[in-house]
Amino acid sequence: MKPEHAVNRAFQFLCKTRMHTTPNTVYLGLNQTFSSESLPEQFLLAGWQLKANSSWKERREFYDTFEWHAFEKGVAVIKKKKTLFLADLNTGQEKASLPFPGTPSSFFSGTLHPGTLQAELSSLSDIRAFIKLCSIDAIISSYSVLNDNEKTIATLTSESLYFADSKKPEPFAHLLSLSPLKGYGDEMELIKKSLLCNDENVCSIVDFRELFELIITAAGRNCLDYSSKLKLELDADAPVHESARRLLQFTFSVMRANEEGIKKNIDSEFLHDYRVAIRRTRSILKQLKGVFDAEESAYYLNLFRDLGKRTNELRDRDVYLLRQETYFRYLPPFLQPSLQLFFKNMAVSRKKLHKQFCHYLASSRYQSFLEEWDAFATRQSVPDPELSPKACHSTMSVATESIKKAWKKVIQHGRQVSSEATDTELHALRIDCKKLRYLLEFFSSIFPHKSIAPVIRQLKELQENLGDFVDFAVQLHFLHDRLTAIPSGKEENLLAASMGALMATLFQKQEEARSTFHKTFSAFDDDKTSQLFHDLLTSSLT
Amino acid sequence: MKTIALYSIKGGVGKTAAAVNLSYLSSRLSLPTLICDLDPQGASSYYFRITASKKYNSDKFLKGNKKIYQHIKATDFENLDLLPSDFSYRNLDIELSEEKKPQKKLKKNIEELGEEYRFVFFDCAPNLTLLSESVFAASDIILVPLIPTTLSIRTYLQLKDFFKANKLDSSKIRPFFSMVEKKKKLHCDIIDEFRNAPGFLAQTIPYNSEVEKMGIYRAPLNAVLPNSPASKAYRNLWEELSVQ
Repeated sequence: MKPEHAVNRAFQFLCKTRMHTTPNTVYLGLNQTFSSESLPEQFLLAGWQLKANSSWKERREFYDTFEWHAFEKGVAVIKKKKTLFLADLNTGQEKASLPFPGTPSSFFSGTLHPGTLQAELSSLSDIRAFIKLCSIDAIISSYSVLNDNEKTIATLTSESLYFADSKKPEPFAHLLSLSPLKGYGDEMELIKKSLLCNDENVCSIVDFRELFELIITAAGRNCLDYSSKLKLELDADAPVHESARRLLQFTFSVMRANEEGIKKNIDSEFLHDYRVAIRRTRSILKQLKGVFDAEESAYYLNLFRDLGKRTNELRDRDVYLLRQETYFRYLPPFLQPSLQLFFKNMAVSRKKLHKQFCHYLASSRYQSFLEEWDAFATRQSVPDPELSPKACHSTMSVATESIKKAWKKVIQHGRQVSSEATDTELHALRIDCKKLRYLLEFFSSIFPHKSIAPVIRQLKELQENLGDFVDFAVQLHFLHDRLTAIPSGKEENLLAASMGALMATLFQKQEEARSTFHKTFSAFDDDKTSQLFHDLLTSSLT
Repeated sequence: MKTIALYSIKGGVGKTAAAVNLSYLSSRLSLPTLICDLDPQGASSYYFRITASKKYNSDKFLKGNKKIYQHIKATDFENLDLLPSDFSYRNLDIELSEEKKPQKKLKKNIEELGEEYRFVFFDCAPNLTLLSESVFAASDIILVPLIPTTLSIRTYLQLKDFFKANKLDSSKIRPFFSMVEKKKKLHCDIIDEFRNAPGFLAQTIPYNSEVEKMGIYRAPLNAVLPNSPASKAYRNLWEELSVQ
């Protein structure tokens, strides 16, 4: 449905007052031909009248994260009248508000003044930025609906909505909103019926959520148009090269979707999702052996490995900057200020690395890589059976086989880990686990949810343990490298002291993770998990 | 939630005018305010152009809380709502007498309104009945408008006696002089006599023909003619009460 058609289908309930006895506001979509001079008065009952109050213009800005955290939780983040509001999408009711004089293109919840709204936004996301989705201008005329006693029973507002930054002078929607006063619900039912029957301008009734979606659609976005989660529904019987290409197209679309946010430096998660997409791409190419031409796969694997490498240091900086508060918590208060220098250095080098990477993203080399890869990912022809012997095997058979192989590898390598559980052993096992996890995620749609969910849950526990261990090890290594490069000086001495204290804490945490490894692994390497994998891998046979 | 009754045994003393204007002044301070019209004549409902819905009657009123909530209507003024009276209220006393603890009924029935309102005003009918007793128990303050005449003073003394005889808290009773005509010597003499009597409010409300015209405007005088002498007097009275 075209946006303007959607607008013309509008009819809506919005409860925006505090009283539970107040009937909902009704939104009515109007024809494009509607003009405010032709207010529909036919709906008024005998003796009723409309009284004009005032007219004004109101700018409204809509915000959400790139992943629609607010929309997913049923709220809208709206700025109007120098105030930021949180509105319930189902009712339109304003839940919290905060003075908000500026109109930033994005902001983080942590930068807001503490209070209900700040807490609510932080609970939605504290690392993702809230980005301005669109700005609209509403030209509003307000009227009172008076009954035969000349008592106000409702306010009627006629709104014409324009895009603030649009050069086109036409509004993209006309709406009437009818907000009854408390105690006048019965009268409102009469008006609603009468409006729908009698007025040719009135097309439909929409609710607040529909109105919100309508505005977003008209602004050229779609609610929930981005998620980094794999939600592809694969066909178990389809040739695996088709399914694999669909997966590659998906990871490619995730990469492309995040480029803009990386360039604009909006938040750290654009680069994070971009990197996950690269890793998933590599995993598909590498783990589904025989599906693609080995030589071609190796060629692209190389390109993606290089691309990933280009982002490593930048991501490191992001991660350390995100850990700022955690690191402060690890230190005694008197050492905390000394660590500031570390974060300052991180920020400086991040800026440089970011510039470098953006430069690369804009390069013709990157552009031709994208084109080349796009052609590969969308290639329709059946691969040469000599070079890709498994390309035409069913998705299910290849999925089962590769998951089985990856699972066996985790078990085999896990059992080989020595009682000391060395860094090298745990590092290697973490990679094995990750490979298995990716395969389970790629193919989760072709397995029954009840078989795959518990398997992923079991694996997750092991991954968390290994992830913690490796994270601490990497941090220790990184800090140690930085420490040895610190020049001498008073400020630097204090920095070195704070980094030393930090490393002591991180070491302790790393050792904790190491000490729980064997227990965690035994829980994974038990009959129960084994049975779960067995059930999963034979589920296609039943 | 503070509850304020506008009460007098005698009629025509300016109860409704005070209830309408004081509740309006309270709402102007962004304090959610409710005015309960308890008089079957429905004068305060009339002033706000509100009629009760056909489904509303004394039965619903006696059921209280939720049933009351459902029939509250917004006035044309922000933060000011009204529970309209219905003609069936004329039987409230009989119905109330069949309840277990009639004196405590009103207090119990409006308990939940505290979630919504900071001030509740009762505009009472001019009599002394079981409903009046229920209002006495439910009110934090009982404002008694008195015309400075002997008959009016007599009804006030009757009220005091009733409180004493029934062991009620007479410190709730706060009389003030209403419809005062400074030209009349009797009015001045009576005001002088009671100026320092315990509980009396210092602010008086002058006789003002504009107050009578509220029936034509059908809105609080303080909203229509905020600079009239009576409007100023209501503002001062509200301030005097607020300070205390």
